[in-house]
Amino acid sequence: MTKQQANWSPYDNNGGSCVAIAGADYCVIAADTRMSSGYNILTREYSKICKLADKAVMASSGFQADVNALQKHLAARHLTYQHQHNKQMSCPAMAQLLSNTLYYKRFFPYYAFNVLGGLDSEGKGCVFTYDAVGSYERVGYSSQGSGSTLIIPFLDNQLKSPSPLLLPAQDAVTPLSESEAVDLVKTVFASATERDIYTGDKLEIVVLNAGGIHREYMELRKD
Amino acid sequence: MPQIFEYNGSALIAMVGKNCFAIASDRRLGVQLQTIATDFQRIYKVHDRLFLGLSGLATDAQTLYQRLVFRHKLYQLREERDMKPETFASLVSAILYEKRFGPYFCQPVIAGLGDEDKPFICTMDSIGAKELAKDFVVAGTASESLYGACESMFRPDMEPEDLFETVSQALLSSVDRDCLSGWGGHVYVVTPTEVKERILKGRMD
Amino acid sequence: MKLDTSGLESTAPLFGSLSSGIHDEISAAPSFALPNTINFDGFQKEAIQMVKPAKGTTTLAFIFKEGVMVAADSRASMGGYISSQSVKKIIEINPYMLGTMAGGAADCQFWHRNLGIKCRLHELANKRRISVTGASKLLANILYSYRGMGLSVGTMIAGWDETGPGLYYVDSEGGRLKGTRFSVGSGSPYAYGVLDNGYRYDMSIEEAAELARRSIYHATFRDGASGGVASVYYVGPDGWKKLSGDDVGELHYHYYPVMPSTVEQEMVEVTGA
Repeated sequence: MTKQQANWSPYDNNGGSCVAIAGADYCVIAADTRMSSGYNILTREYSKICKLADKAVMASSGFQADVNALQKHLAARHLTYQHQHNKQMSCPAMAQLLSNTLYYKRFFPYYAFNVLGGLDSEGKGCVFTYDAVGSYERVGYSSQGSGSTLIIPFLDNQLKSPSPLLLPAQDAVTPLSESEAVDLVKTVFASATERDIYTGDKLEIVVLNAGGIHREYMELRKD
Repeated sequence: MPQIFEYNGSALIAMVGKNCFAIASDRRLGVQLQTIATDFQRIYKVHDRLFLGLSGLATDAQTLYQRLVFRHKLYQLREERDMKPETFASLVSAILYEKRFGPYFCQPVIAGLGDEDKPFICTMDSIGAKELAKDFVVAGTASESLYGACESMFRPDMEPEDLFETVSQALLSSVDRDCLSGWGGHVYVVTPTEVKERILKGRMD
Repeated sequence: MKLDTSGLESTAPLFGSLSSGIHDEISAAPSFALPNTINFDGFQKEAIQMVKPAKGTTTLAFIFKEGVMVAADSRASMGGYISSQSVKKIIEINPYMLGTMAGGAADCQFWHRNLGIKCRLHELANKRRISVTGASKLLANILYSYRGMGLSVGTMIAGWDETGPGLYYVDSEGGRLKGTRFSVGSGSPYAYGVLDNGYRYDMSIEEAAELARRSIYHATFRDGASGGVASVYYVGPDGWKKLSGDDVGELHYHYYPVMPSTVEQEMVEVTGA
């Protein structure tokens, strides 16, 4: 294969925002459905949320071509896992796999900013947040993508979950009920849409709980 | 924002309430990541009903402030009255545009009470393009976080106490996501009858 | 360019033919994908700028009479924006060894995880725990093999082995130093100031923990890129133990309480003056 030239730039940023909130017995993962390139909107109905396993859902912003490749790779790895272990991967296991997958592309990164939400083995909500090269952390709530700088301060203000590093240790999941969390997500996206041009059109909310996965939508500004 | 605007770090916010307004800032003065002072004044009183906040490069902010005070004093002597906020905004804009090709590295925030106690807030870029707003304006290194927080927290026609709480919460939660601003807060709530000044305790990291 | 990927071998699938060709990409021994470009350095530079890995830190560790004290803040920042206030910068490699994290978060996390695997394999092969010297050299050798490719790691390996307490500084430029007192990261000058001033070899555990905590606190106060929670770990003959985790936002007002009055001076009628 011929070597690429020096000015080779294989990345684009398609924008978009993702939010995930973990509760005692649920997890809410949400993202807008706008996909942009520069000042153009490519489509208003592009789902950024991908179900990786029964109890693990990933929302990704950044470069959607990379995201797509990443999702396909994880799906393949999960399929082999199911054949080898005869069970679905748990959310913390998927979190570690995603971290390693991202790091193996350390020198040619996936331009993808992910949040992984799901339920752990005890049925508690869990959220894992990543950078593009695979450093990850379990948190109570997180936001990634173009609107994250607008969303996170408000979530900090409303949720203020205790740091997992404090001693004596305190539980990091948010104290909200499921419906309160969904309402909060709708509020922050409505606000982010006002000021971030890459966020808008429609909000896709996925809720995971003991009953399974539910999906709902809310319209956002289209300008 | 270009690098020089982030040299000292800052966070500024002005918000409108019912016949009142609030203007607030952080208290840090830094040189890039090094914190030099935690009692820095970024908001200046022009007169009892008019306040000016200057984000960006601190040395330019102080110079610009001194020039504005000078011009305002001349105005007071000649006209025997205080400047209206709208007039003052135009003055700031004009002074900034004088330096169109070598600007002051500042983004001002102007907040005041005009005729019939109508609150006026505005911001502009470093070369004086005015941007009037009905609800809130923000500036500084934490401006993106501030936009998000204000957009979610603002409600129209707040009473002064409510406005103080909202502005303080927005400021503190925003600067906690910015390396270059914070270390406490400074809030002025201005009503037609009084000016309330408060120092906020914040995270000192 | 030939990379040393031997560090990755232990994570390869345990069974299944490795080169059947059909599902090469997903079941072959993992290796690092490299961009197919003539200008690797330029590409790296651009890619790093785009993904902006989390940076900015204060970490410290020192040896004293009772063992090793390790402490760190918990902030991760991308440019001026704080991306997390709850990063675990002290990584528990095994019950007797800790690593600290400064520089690229992913680089540190991944290679410490990798070091943990290698240390465990050493333990299984040799029926005894690896020495701190050995572990730090394993890490230094890996990092050296990637020298010039843009890894960013500044770490301290602290632990207790057959020779007593051990402390090494290892970085991605290939450096490896043995010592009794280190601080790494953007806040390290401030931490050193407090640490060097208060350090004595014959401190008690409580005194040492307080010195470590205070050093981290002062670094978070002056350094914009440090903050969050000050965690303090102690490594002794029975392994490591987390001694404290304090929110520095509260620690400040603990060290410097604010008097509630805002009135600085009141005019008082002086009688009989």
